[in-house]
Amino acid sequence: MSKMTAKERFYNEKGMIAKGFAQPTDRIKRIKQAILDSTPVLESERAVLVTQVYKETEGMTPIMRRAKVVEKLLTEGTVIIRDDELIVGCRNIHRRSSDIGVEFSCKWVEDEFETIADRSTDPFYISDENKKILHDTFKYWEGRTLSEYATATMSEETLRAQDNGVFNVGNYLFGGVGHSVVNYERIMATGFTGVIEEVEAARKSLDRSDPDSIAKEQFYEAVLITYRACIQYAHRYERLAAEMAAKESNPVRKAELLQISKNCQHVPEFGARNFYEACQSFWFVHNILNIETNGHSYSPGPFDRFMYPYYKNDPTITEDFAQELIDCIFLKMSDCNKVRDDLSAQAFAGYQLFEMIALGGQDEGGIDQTNTISYLCLTALAHTGMPSPSLAVRVSNKTPDDFLYRVCETIRLGYGMPNVFNDEVIIPAMVNRGVPLELARTYTPSGCVEPDLNHRYDGWHDAASYNCAKVLDITLHNGRVDGKLVGLETGDVTKFTCIEELWNAFEKQMEYFIGLMVEADNCIDRAHGQICPLPYQSALIEDCISKGKSVQEGGARYNFSGPQGCAVIDTGDSMWCIEKNVFRDKRFTMAELMDALDNNFGYPIPAGSSTGHDDWGRHQAGGCCADSSDMESKIYEAVKAILGGSGSVNLSDIRSTVASCGSGATGGGSPEKYAAMRNILDRTEAFGNDNDEVDAYAVRVARIYCEIVQRHRCARGGQFQAGMYPVSANVLYGKDVGALPTGRLAKTPVADGVSPRAGKDTQGPTAAANSVSKLDHALASNGTLYNQKFLPSALEGDSGIQNLAALIRGYFERKGMHIQFNVVDRETLIDAQQHPQDYKDLVIRVAGYSAQFISLAKEVQDGIIARTEQTF
Amino acid sequence: MVSINYKAEGTVFDIQRFSIHDGPGIRTIVFLKGCPLSCLWCCNPESQSANPVIMYQPEQCIHCGRCVQACQNGAISPGEPGLVDRQKCVGCGECASVCPAGALVLKGEKMSVESLINILKKDRAVYRKSGGGVTISGGEPLVQWQFATELLKACKAQGWHTAMETTGLGSEEAVESVFPYLDVALLDIKAMDPVRHKQATGVSNEVIHRNAVRIAELTQVVIRVPTIPTINDSEEEFKKISAFAKTLNGVDTIHVLPYHTYGENKYGLLGSEYPMGYEIQPLPRERAEVFRKVVEEQGLHCVIGG
Repeated sequence: MSKMTAKERFYNEKGMIAKGFAQPTDRIKRIKQAILDSTPVLESERAVLVTQVYKETEGMTPIMRRAKVVEKLLTEGTVIIRDDELIVGCRNIHRRSSDIGVEFSCKWVEDEFETIADRSTDPFYISDENKKILHDTFKYWEGRTLSEYATATMSEETLRAQDNGVFNVGNYLFGGVGHSVVNYERIMATGFTGVIEEVEAARKSLDRSDPDSIAKEQFYEAVLITYRACIQYAHRYERLAAEMAAKESNPVRKAELLQISKNCQHVPEFGARNFYEACQSFWFVHNILNIETNGHSYSPGPFDRFMYPYYKNDPTITEDFAQELIDCIFLKMSDCNKVRDDLSAQAFAGYQLFEMIALGGQDEGGIDQTNTISYLCLTALAHTGMPSPSLAVRVSNKTPDDFLYRVCETIRLGYGMPNVFNDEVIIPAMVNRGVPLELARTYTPSGCVEPDLNHRYDGWHDAASYNCAKVLDITLHNGRVDGKLVGLETGDVTKFTCIEELWNAFEKQMEYFIGLMVEADNCIDRAHGQICPLPYQSALIEDCISKGKSVQEGGARYNFSGPQGCAVIDTGDSMWCIEKNVFRDKRFTMAELMDALDNNFGYPIPAGSSTGHDDWGRHQAGGCCADSSDMESKIYEAVKAILGGSGSVNLSDIRSTVASCGSGATGGGSPEKYAAMRNILDRTEAFGNDNDEVDAYAVRVARIYCEIVQRHRCARGGQFQAGMYPVSANVLYGKDVGALPTGRLAKTPVADGVSPRAGKDTQGPTAAANSVSKLDHALASNGTLYNQKFLPSALEGDSGIQNLAALIRGYFERKGMHIQFNVVDRETLIDAQQHPQDYKDLVIRVAGYSAQFISLAKEVQDGIIARTEQTF
Repeated sequence: MVSINYKAEGTVFDIQRFSIHDGPGIRTIVFLKGCPLSCLWCCNPESQSANPVIMYQPEQCIHCGRCVQACQNGAISPGEPGLVDRQKCVGCGECASVCPAGALVLKGEKMSVESLINILKKDRAVYRKSGGGVTISGGEPLVQWQFATELLKACKAQGWHTAMETTGLGSEEAVESVFPYLDVALLDIKAMDPVRHKQATGVSNEVIHRNAVRIAELTQVVIRVPTIPTINDSEEEFKKISAFAKTLNGVDTIHVLPYHTYGENKYGLLGSEYPMGYEIQPLPRERAEVFRKVVEEQGLHCVIGG
């Protein structure tokens, strides 16, 4: 670590902080290239085996059927070792390929058979033979999937709210839950035999006269079947590696295969004896999670913490070999995949699984746990540079500066990672939810941004996305969408005389719709417990074995459901625009505003090709290059995907709803008629500029959402807790919302996460971060997401690293929860030239001067674009 | 005990948070209006006049005509190229206050020390975390030296690191008043030859050089050289500047600030022409490296870009 002060560095630009990243080994380069070169395939093996088991087990208890599913998949599924691999265990036959969680939902797959191979984002090849196999398999599932079971239990009111895009519960309605951090370290220590011994002991002590003992007995038996199969699975790899070694002519590879065989003979049946075995054990534990179900966001969590003892106590391991093994694990994680429907794939482009590795942090006693493995993991990201795993870092006041600098140096590479999380907010937030302080200190971020308590916690993170702006839209229309009553009648807003009346109406609608969202979540939650309890995951979550109960039935020590609020910022800014312009300055009346909103400020609804405002699709992850008519059909598809999750509820209804989204009008009047009003609205102060009075409105919306959410109980016996992060779906959720009092046109994107609206934060990153930090992040204990973007030039040199570190420390001192940084690339700058309004926050900084990128002359912009290369 | 006049007012044309090239760490810059120089390459031309000026962005204009009615001096007419007749405009800002589109913007606002401190305070956490602080820039801050003095005293009362970007041109009284409250002065030296200096900036450099000696006695000085093609981008010039820098008390660092064209757009918005012309390209990094070598050969530290 440098001993120079900031002042000394300013006068003397001698690089001491940036260390650079060494090249990965040739093996790592080859594996990465093979993954990049591969064509992902839609496979049928899992669907066929699972269906077979379900047909054979119809009379059995759900937990026993699930044990049989795992047993079948692990004993009959294909085992495969790919070229160059040091860590083995594949979920799929082909690289980066995907199975289908047929038991959760499958109809949408068949609907996309003909297009899935050729779509522009995340295509999957599917052979004619597989189409036929899957078609036959799907027949069994009609009326039997979890999504149908859960939907049948939902009330008309909650279905109507979903059809109208108020909230979306698609994640766990159409797939497994996943989204937890299991006890990897326990298996590394005792092996799967440790689990078997514990279960056998628990079983022996059962009081058979206790009526609960029957369900417990079923659970224990299911766990035993599952874990015996898991041990056999590893031995299948042991034999495969030995067979391959026998045929291998290259002596180096032969030795590697023999070592692999030896590793798989011992782990994960027994505890790991060295670092290499620990790595292999970790991977088996992780991989089987995703074989058992098809959830996403199963996160390794504090990988550096649980791997470090095996590194430290291994006298033979070198740092180089440890690096290569970690690189291999990172690449294994990018070799896995999950097929999504077309538009969800666009929203989550890049074959993302959201499996998070979180570095640093504290132990129970509050001692910083940053270690050698933490640094090796940062280098592994530099070496592999793939979207999976997601990499996160916990930062506390105790985090060493040199580690944070290394994190910033890694961020500067431009992969948008690691994400940074604030211990000083999340630990108290956990305590506020009833977790003892010592345990709270060991929390880990998981998935996208969700704090989790590793292997003691079932957070049901991502339970739903709740669209606050849609609720405001409904409030402004006295509970109606398209003239039809969907919410409560809270009054004609044109008769309101002050903003408090509107707040009051909005809060009532929020209470109503949040209640319906909770109902929908609980229907799904209950369905998982009733028909899809998971024995493998459950034995890796503490308390499940002692309670004799699966995670899905409430077996974890801590149970939560975490639905995230979206469009909080747009909603707050809308309220401020009304207060400022209608009630305070009286620039126009509420009736005039409603007329403008209902006519979409004179622009056509849905967005037509002539307005120049229909290009929202460009901002979707992955981008798209469709022409405007093609775009229009994609708009429908986007809403379909969001409202229907992976697509099954009332699509035709949704299509008509969306066609008339907002007012049902087709834009009476002309843009000129409303230009003056829209100018006023557009120029009204916005969240993100560190203006306390303005920021208070978004803060209030967030508080209303969080406080209502946390009043509710979840089906597993725990509490609801709010998050605020739409990931990249802010574009899609925007499609459900009519014109807003901010001047935002109907169906255009809403702001991302808790970030200011696009282009509205013009006072620089510190001002924007201050605004975001005014939200009560501790209340949003299911996570918040704040995204900042920088031009590469702002991060140059050691001072760039130190300034980034200072920004993080400053934001965290003000109790921000999470921040991630995107280093702007050429494509973004080119987009900024074309859509300047969205990029007012891009600033060029040089000595004595700075300018918004968009205000520069075209040639000057071109010069900057030409120089913007990722050269770090 | 030092007394601070928090009610003192100055004319500010911009406040820029998260500045990272204007002193150590992350800083907020307060830009003061007024400059006795008129450098051909000036990237903040709206700063030159001591009074507020109107900037007009035609692409924002919605042609509503409100500004025409608002102007008491008949300075705005739709037929006027650049909208505003600069001879008649007094910079009152009436037009900007009625412009619904933000096409007309008034650059320059009276602000008190107190209101500035309230804004500067917002980033105190990042000053502390980054070793940053507050930088006063311009224009030439010495034009409003009494106000600058009060503002700097108020910053020091908060415990902040203070810096100033200065041309070095100001009265003896101004120099003696301001620099004791600065932790570092970023002092421009543009050319050593007085005639050449006058051609490029409109003023001779004699006072600047005299002040430089005194400023270096009052605070730590870093010499900054805006390196402008056709004006001072020669190894010879850098040798001379380095030699001069070495005569100043405690100076051991020169910043090479490569010429850029980010300010050229502003001239159009002010209804004037860019005196440098539009042909001269930004100074390439390789050229800046050549000058860095010259400076380092003279035994000084050198930073490109500040």
